[in-house]
This record gives sequence, structure tokens and C-alpha cells, in this order.
Amino acid sequence: MSNFQRDIIIDEVYNYALKNKDVFFMSADFGAPALDKFRENLPDQFIHSGISEQHMIDMAAGLALDGNKVYVYAMAPFITLRCLEQIKCSLAMMSLPVTILGVGIGLGYADAGPTHYLNEDISVMNSIVNLDICSPSDESSLKFIAKQTIDIPKLRYIRMERNSLKNIYPNDYYFNKEGFEIIHKGKNICILSTGYMLHKAKEAGEKLLNDNIDVSIYDVINIKPLSNNLITEISKYEKIITIEEQTLNGGFGSIIINALFKNGISNRTVKCLGLKEKYYFQNGGREFLLNDSGLSSDSIYETVKNL
Amino acid sequence: MTKTNIKDLESKSKWLRRTCFEMLLSANQGHPGSILSQIEILISLYYGGIIKYFKNEPYHPDRDKIIISKGHAAMSLYPIFADIGYFDKEELKKFGRSDSMLKLFGNISIPGIDCTSGSLGHGLGVGCGFAYSAKMKNAKINTFIILSEGEMYEGSIWESALFASHHSLDNLIVILDRNRNIILGDTEDCLALEPIKDKWASFGFQVEDVDGHSIADIIDTFNKFNKTNDKPKLLIANTIKGKGISFMENKSFSHYWSPLSDDLIKKARLELTIDE
Repeated sequence: MSNFQRDIIIDEVYNYALKNKDVFFMSADFGAPALDKFRENLPDQFIHSGISEQHMIDMAAGLALDGNKVYVYAMAPFITLRCLEQIKCSLAMMSLPVTILGVGIGLGYADAGPTHYLNEDISVMNSIVNLDICSPSDESSLKFIAKQTIDIPKLRYIRMERNSLKNIYPNDYYFNKEGFEIIHKGKNICILSTGYMLHKAKEAGEKLLNDNIDVSIYDVINIKPLSNNLITEISKYEKIITIEEQTLNGGFGSIIINALFKNGISNRTVKCLGLKEKYYFQNGGREFLLNDSGLSSDSIYETVKNL
Repeated sequence: MTKTNIKDLESKSKWLRRTCFEMLLSANQGHPGSILSQIEILISLYYGGIIKYFKNEPYHPDRDKIIISKGHAAMSLYPIFADIGYFDKEELKKFGRSDSMLKLFGNISIPGIDCTSGSLGHGLGVGCGFAYSAKMKNAKINTFIILSEGEMYEGSIWESALFASHHSLDNLIVILDRNRNIILGDTEDCLALEPIKDKWASFGFQVEDVDGHSIADIIDTFNKFNKTNDKPKLLIANTIKGKGISFMENKSFSHYWSPLSDDLIKKARLELTIDE
């Protein structure tokens, strides 16, 4: 089986569904090799909703109200913004155990253009009450999140990559329940990131270390709810940098700044790096577009060095 | 159903209509137009032997499900729920007050309400989930959904209609409250919905239409629905918005409650006299 994020989580759900007839997996015409196996072997628990994300979310609510655990799956832009009202009214208002699997966050679908990019989901989904936002950075963290959906069913949105990500954590890594992990412990400066951009942060951190600048790197796996202990932890640093593949209005950086202020921490230097306030029509691939936005590891390295 | 029974149900309709009016009056807010148009539909469902429920047990696992998709009209279920023992009748007097468990729109914290509603166009999709789940469990449970015709403007309704038909959800029974009036006027002037029957039939529903204020016709038509044809059902209930209060009937303004003068309150109460 591939190590694409979608296959990893569908396999976890498949194993769970094999033993539990009350687990349903819905797709709005979005596939994966692991899903082919699910459809083949568990046809009664797989539901093709049509390319109808709004219906898929409403129907998931009906299934969940009747005591089932439901996973809904589609391309990330369409399973979030297109059916946001359904997520609010049918899932969040009734606080139902449904897992929203969105594939292809950020610029993951480059060069498809801005219809297929999801540069505002953190901001938008953070505003939904009763919903958790989980952002895996590799296979182990994704499996950890998948296990949480099984152990503690609730409304969650999982931000998934279109493809695979390099491993950050060993297979047997023990994830704490706080929803964040310390990737590297440095001093004075810390970088917070998540998902794909965590890898950029990590690369930048390694380059900085060569220059004897030892920055801490934090992986924020649970963007919502955000751990208060994370805020206590990062308040020890003089300079805090956030990195996201999102436009900055209301995004990851905003959430961190809000949390710092809420905790009475207002005298730190905070720098939020993110995408430009524009729709990206430019060709060239994801790395090209990130570079253009100052989000390559080299750009991050330069920014931190000159801070 | 005998004539005597129908007469009893008509009497019950008068009780429900008057009770809803008094609750709206006391709350001084709500949506009388679409509440009053669906009274006979609800009486037929709950007292005409159509919907399966268990007295005093709002969460009985074998109950049929109901979703009033036009959530602004869900409050007309509250007097019925109190009557069948889902909660204390005293609760009805508190409707609209800050200490009341009964909200302006239905939500699942209220015993008997199976789905929170309010925003149009969600009920049919949620109902598909109920109906599909019942089929997977081989449970003989029907799901009843009351749609306003205004919801036909929401695209999500048609997404769900496609699904219900493809999956032969014959345990899904939709009642379309066709009172013709949306907020800005007659649907056919604002943006035509007709031919409604053909639209739903072409989506694979078994469609019947009926005088939505004739209990005998509503019950007969429910019984006429072929229970073995594998199709979801749609009953077009042709109704009158604001039915029962002459100055509200067929008036788009009756969508929202407006404070009433003493004379109009008197007039409404006279028209809504309950049989002794």
C-alpha cells in the first residue's frame, strides 16, 4: 500500500470498520487505492455521495444521529468551504462524531490554481464551535490522529496532504495528549508550524544550527483546541515565529498571537510567515510558489537570521 | 378511518392551531404562516396512525423519525409532544421565555426533536442518513420530513433527492408544505417552482398531491403510497399559509409574527375557537 496520507488513514479506518458495522465511510467521488479495498470488502459501509459535498455532510449527520461513526472524504477545498454551512448546522451544532478528511490543503494541488488550493481553512474552520482541527506532519502523527478518531469519536477536521510526507517521528513514537510536540529544543527563538510547512521549518532550523543559531521547532498537531501548555512553553522565548501555507488573516499565526495575548503575553517579538494575500494563478509547482511567497526553507532561514 | 374519527382529528387540529397561536402570542415572536399551514399534516401523522411513536418515550429506538426541515415551523410539534407525554404540558406556557426548554426553532435538546433545524435545505440530507441507517440495520423505521416549498430553491435538496432515489429509500417520506408563499410573495411570481410534481417524479420519487387541510385525504393518500415500489415518497400538501386566521391567510407577511392589536387577538381567538 502507498504511504500517501489518504491511504494511511483509510487503512486505519478500514481495520476499524471491519469489526464495527456502525462505521461508515463516505466519499464525494474521491478515491485512493486503500479506498478500493474498502469498497470491495465493505460495500455496505461505503457510501458514494455523488459529487455532492453538501449532501454528504447532511447525510453524515443523519447517520451519526442514528448512532453511527462516520468519515467523510473529499478534496479539501470542497469538503470545507463549499459545505461550511452544513458543517456548522448539521454537524457542529449537534456535536456529532464525524471525521472530516480533507485532502490537498494549502497549495498541494499545484498547478491546478486557486479553486483547488485551500489557503484559508485554518481561519475558516477555527471559527466552527465544537470542531477540532488536526494537522498531521507525517505518517506516525497521522496514525496517532486516526487512533484518536476511533478512541474518542467526535467532530474533527483532519488536514491532509495530497501525497506523502517524509517521516519526522519514529514508528513507535509516543505522542503526548497535549496536541503539540517538540521537534528540537533550542533557545531564545522558537518556530511553530504544522503539516507540510513543519518540514520547511525543520530544514531551516538545521541550516540555522550550522550558523550556531539554535532555534526550537514545535509541531502543532492540534490547532484547535490549542494547548494552553504550548502557550506557556513558547512564552519562554524572546522571539516566536509561525509558519503556515495559508493566507494570514485569521490563520495559524493569528491563533497563536490571540492565545499569547489571552494569556497576558504581549511583549514578545512575533513574526507570522504565510502566503501572500492573493489568488495563486501562477504555474511552476508548489515549491516555486512557496519560494515566491518567502516560504522556502532558505527564505525562512534568511528571515529568522535577520530577525 | 371513520367519519367520527376524522371529526375527532379535525377537533384536534383546532386544538393544535389554537395552542400554537397562544404560544406565539405569548412569545410575541415566531412564524405563524408556515406553522398554521402544516397543522393538519401533523395531526394526521401523530393521531391518524401514520407515524410510529411511543407515549412518554421520545427516545424509543423503534420510533419513526421526524424532521421539520423548515425549522421555523418546528414549534407546532411541541403541543403534540406534550400531549403524548414527551414532556410536561406546563412547558408550553414557557415557550419563548429565557427559562424555557422550548426554543423558537427545533433542536435536539428538546425531547421528540430528532434533528436540529433552521437553515433551509438540510432536512432531506439528514433524513437520507436516518433512512439509510435504518435499512442497514434492517429496522422497520420510517423517516418523515416536512419541507417547505421554499427549500426547493436550495441545491442541496436536489443532491439528496438524487441519493434517496438511487438507494431506493422507500422508508423516506417527504411532505412538501406547498403554501405558495415565500417571504417576498408567490413562488410562481418570485421564481417559478412548477411543475413540482414532475420535478420530483423525474428524480425518482413516488409523488401524490393532496389538499393539505383535509385530514381524510392526507391519511388516505399516505395509505395509498405503494409500500413495495422501492421509491422514496413525496406528498405535496397544498395548503394555505396562515390557515385558520383570516387576516393571515395567504399573506406573505404572516411568515413572521407581528404584534397584534387587541381587536385582532379577539378576532383570531374567535376564529380559532376550540370544540368543547
